[in-house]
Amino acid sequence: MDDRRRRFETQALPHLDAAYNLARWLTRSSAEADDIVQDAMLRAFRAFDTFRGNDVKPWLLAIVRNCCLTRLRDRRTKLDMPLPETESDHGDAFVAMDADPETVVAAADEARQLDRIIAEMPAEYREVLVLREMEDMSYRDIAAATGAPIGTVMSRLARARALLKDRWLAHAQGGSNGVS
Amino acid sequence: MACPESLRVQAYLDGESSGAAEIERHIQACEDCARLRDDILALRASIRSSAPYYRADAALSRRIARDLARAERTSRWPQWLLPGFWAGAVSGAFASACAAALVFVLLLPPSSDRFADDLLDAHLRSLAGPHLVDVASSNHHTVKPWFAGRTDVSPVVEDHAAHGYVLIGGREDFVDGRRAAVLVYRHGLHVINVFAWRAGDERLPGVMSRNGYKMIFWKDGDVAYGAVSDTGLNELTELESLIKK
Repeated sequence: MDDRRRRFETQALPHLDAAYNLARWLTRSSAEADDIVQDAMLRAFRAFDTFRGNDVKPWLLAIVRNCCLTRLRDRRTKLDMPLPETESDHGDAFVAMDADPETVVAAADEARQLDRIIAEMPAEYREVLVLREMEDMSYRDIAAATGAPIGTVMSRLARARALLKDRWLAHAQGGSNGVS
Repeated sequence: MACPESLRVQAYLDGESSGAAEIERHIQACEDCARLRDDILALRASIRSSAPYYRADAALSRRIARDLARAERTSRWPQWLLPGFWAGAVSGAFASACAAALVFVLLLPPSSDRFADDLLDAHLRSLAGPHLVDVASSNHHTVKPWFAGRTDVSPVVEDHAAHGYVLIGGREDFVDGRRAAVLVYRHGLHVINVFAWRAGDERLPGVMSRNGYKMIFWKDGDVAYGAVSDTGLNELTELESLIKK
């Protein structure tokens, strides 16, 4: 293994899950995310010599994001059009081993609803939420990954949060007098 | 959320702001911003506890490890002989990916794989671009001399239209970084690229199938041949025997 590959494996590959999570949220399809991340990793490896800096993560995520946008554009699929994935099959995974079945059901429902609400947000809101709240990235890194100025990142985050709150409240109110 | 300080409050909660004490004081005094803080913290807690975080599965990691191994063509050593492989292997997260890479390396010698990759790439490029043939002719008296100044091999050039393999021309290409002469045949609706290059001590894979494309390799003296197409294997073998005659 040459030095470049070793550096890539120690610096870039640890962000594979972050890359996948972003691609999965942007495309809303696990099959597409699989393809895109595989492609993006190879592109990143080939371009690795051009990488300057200490933190690979924003650079790598920018490549993943570009691959997502290109793919979606190629398919003439609007980023904001929901691609129905098979009925959420991940709810259970996020409910810790909780003994109380009612809590488990309620938590699984919350996970499903949150997934749906975030998935239905406009892509530019979705991506800043994912990068900020799931990846815990700084504004500067989010700006680098999305190619937007920091001020834009801040205002998108604010709007994303306001929208998420509104939809979450709407869901909670709708849920309280609807069928469960 | 009309408060002009709301973006500063948000930045503070995102760990971006330095004037903590001042912002805390503002939140104490401003109802809007107090609500904003509560909302941001509540949404964050919900997302972190409930929203799905999707992770790459082992199959994807394996495919990526394989891609990287292929892309790294500078090193001809088997991966498992090098210390970097073991360093990667003990790093935990990559153990399975590297183990898979090891199996891959053991099953398919890199040399075979490299030729197959190169041939398939070149074949697909030739079909996608405007560059299928550099010299268009079914006359071997035209095509053969054309190679003379451009490649370092002089392959057998024959039109086999009588058997259904129509020579449509020749092209210059590269296999494993070496110049190759390419004979382009048409068989029905299929294009068959026959690459010829000066044979070294490489191991040729014989017959390979990749992504639905068939490849067949042989040596004739010091010239190595590789034919690739989306036809069946039988057609490629037939063409091989016609060229070998």
